[in-house]
Amino acid sequence: MQKRILWAVTMLLVLLLASCAPAAAPAEAPAAEAGGDQEAAPPAEPADTAAEPAAGSDEVFTYWGGLIFSDAANQMLVDRITQWGEERGIQTEVVMINQNETTQRVSAAIEAGSMPDALDMGEGLMLLLSQQGQLEVLDDLYGEIGETHGGWIDSVNELTEIAAFGGNRYGIPFGVGGNVLYRRTDALEAAGFTDAPETWMELRDMAAAAQNPPETYGMGFALSNVGDGNLTTTMLQSWGGRVANDEGTECTLDTQETRDFLTWITDAYNDGLFPPGATTWDGAGDNVAYQSGNALFIANPGSVYLYMRDNDPELGDATQYSALPAGPVMRLAPMGAPNYRVIPTTSNFTEEAKDLFRYLAEDEFMQEYYFNAIYGPVMQSQVDFPIFTEGPVHVGLLDLVLNGTPPAYPDVNNAAFAEYGTNFLTPRMVQRVVVDGLSIDDAVLETQKACQDIYDKYQ
Amino acid sequence: MTQQAISNLPQSEVRQPQPRFNMSQRQSIMGYLLVLPVVLCLTTLVIYPFFYAIYISFTDRMVGQPGNFIGFANYRYLFNWIDFRATVKNTIVLVFWVQTLKLVLGMGIALLLNQQIRGRQLWRSTILIPWAMPAFVAFITWKLLFAPQGGAFNYILINLGLVNSHVDFLSTKALAMPSVITASFWRGFPFWVISFLAALQNVPQELYEAAAIDGSTAWQRFRHVTLPNIRHVVLVVVLLSTIWTTNSFEAIWLMTQGGPSNATMTFPVLAYFGLQNLRIGEAASVSVSMLPIFAMLAFIVAYLLQREE
Repeated sequence: MQKRILWAVTMLLVLLLASCAPAAAPAEAPAAEAGGDQEAAPPAEPADTAAEPAAGSDEVFTYWGGLIFSDAANQMLVDRITQWGEERGIQTEVVMINQNETTQRVSAAIEAGSMPDALDMGEGLMLLLSQQGQLEVLDDLYGEIGETHGGWIDSVNELTEIAAFGGNRYGIPFGVGGNVLYRRTDALEAAGFTDAPETWMELRDMAAAAQNPPETYGMGFALSNVGDGNLTTTMLQSWGGRVANDEGTECTLDTQETRDFLTWITDAYNDGLFPPGATTWDGAGDNVAYQSGNALFIANPGSVYLYMRDNDPELGDATQYSALPAGPVMRLAPMGAPNYRVIPTTSNFTEEAKDLFRYLAEDEFMQEYYFNAIYGPVMQSQVDFPIFTEGPVHVGLLDLVLNGTPPAYPDVNNAAFAEYGTNFLTPRMVQRVVVDGLSIDDAVLETQKACQDIYDKYQ
Repeated sequence: MTQQAISNLPQSEVRQPQPRFNMSQRQSIMGYLLVLPVVLCLTTLVIYPFFYAIYISFTDRMVGQPGNFIGFANYRYLFNWIDFRATVKNTIVLVFWVQTLKLVLGMGIALLLNQQIRGRQLWRSTILIPWAMPAFVAFITWKLLFAPQGGAFNYILINLGLVNSHVDFLSTKALAMPSVITASFWRGFPFWVISFLAALQNVPQELYEAAAIDGSTAWQRFRHVTLPNIRHVVLVVVLLSTIWTTNSFEAIWLMTQGGPSNATMTFPVLAYFGLQNLRIGEAASVSVSMLPIFAMLAFIVAYLLQREE
């Protein structure tokens, strides 16, 4: 009897040990060195042969796509990758993830050794991961894809070549975001305003005159701890404020320009120009406010336009679009940092992923994808897509790509600036005044210290 | 020596095969073997990660990097960080009020449901709905209820003439935390009710009868009969629920994301923000800094339980 129990216990132990073992098999190829040019996989092969080794294999190619506010575009990406897998005889699994949670998902996956074989991500995260040696260098592929499509647009080319990447390219851009100013012409014209505001101060006056709380509020801009809240950093810069010095090493928020901006925006808040809840909005807060007719102005990359086009043409007809207004010192029209497709160094399908990127970059697919997505173009062959002359927001996005200012400008776009953004220090500074009742001076000094603490980490 | 010869020897001279372990030792080994799987699993899934997290909190580790030992640097940064100070205060406020409400109302409802009331079974089942509902659904629903425009609470308040304009429950510093406390309490109180109810049903009826004969009041019966008999359950429920509430992430994240400003920032949300910068060492130090609270709670409850015994 005891022998049987012993045997059963032994078997249980074996099973337990097996279940406690890492789920993902370790990558067969060694990871590339950080910033180095050593690639993990065998030398590049032609696209049509790249998939051969995986054909018939039981391994699944996993792709993490970034969810955007367009179901059609999300589905297109899934279908396209699935189609690619079928054509190449590769099992694929596409997981669409909330872009607000990409960083956390990626962090957990790296620690657990369960990174996908390829994924979409923004520039900030790509910057941080490339410095950790987590991403494949894609210089050759970048050049090859660009050449096939008439070359990369100059601004995109410059953006992807920042010094912080050490002269390498770690991702293939596939779309540029950026904010366009939406305005409700019906309400504004009723108040006597027919043109787009030239300055933020003018926008404030228009908002105050045209709003009718609680039905409508003028300034539908997020002041919360989400990416949209970082529009306040652009505003701050257009007031002449700077997050850091020209070298990108010392925080320089403690200036009169910052105080002037903070005074202006907190006065607007206290005058009731922001919709209720703006200090705790999630990433969809401004979308919901505008789509429900509750906000007269918002800054949005285009998801609201897509919603109106497909679901609320009446609101769409009552909306016009323009570039972001100027501050007292300068006008900034920051093109959003491009979104990239990247390959982790742990990928078991490095060559296949490169082949997929070529496949996804094909004009036929991208033309339809841009129609449903909210991105500006990245390559010359895409500039002539009909959507960039027909769709009002897409026209604005193309204009941003061709004429906009680089992300972070006039600040230096480095890892410290990225961390400043992911800590939402500018919208938090605003919250400290309007929510906690801190004085302008105290809020600026507190934020200056928090900012400097971040920049000190990168010295 | 043949078999026949052996059988002819006196019994005392036959050498019996000696077992390697005596019965007591064999039972001990058996016992150890039986608990070994649990020990292994606990070591792998709990103890190792626990001490590893403590170690990481003393490093400058970033995602995918081993990091270097930096002593208390993360903690120094943490304790000087204004968000952290707000987090400590908010976590204490949240846990205190949620637990107090759960205790008082959970006990009251459990006592009520322990009476012979009409539709008792139905009420007992209904009370479980908040607990059974997925947290995501529950807290998104609460967020919609609190919404300044279109939210049910504002609709009621305005239509009753109690307020003139919309109340911004989740974006007003004074109201954000009470709103989150309300939602957290609502989601968690059924566990308390059911636990208390189960304990109440085990209190011997004769004790109540004897107390009634002695002329005790309802409060005296509760104080001297009910409470002593369910004290163990209360302590365990308080401990478990306090840990769950302190670790609770969904309520804050889905309703306020720690805002407005830092009005509802708690440990788990702050640690989550820490991960956004890939700084695992910093994020771990946030989590590890919760340890003294849990250790103190566990100690108090263990002490009280031991004293009871």
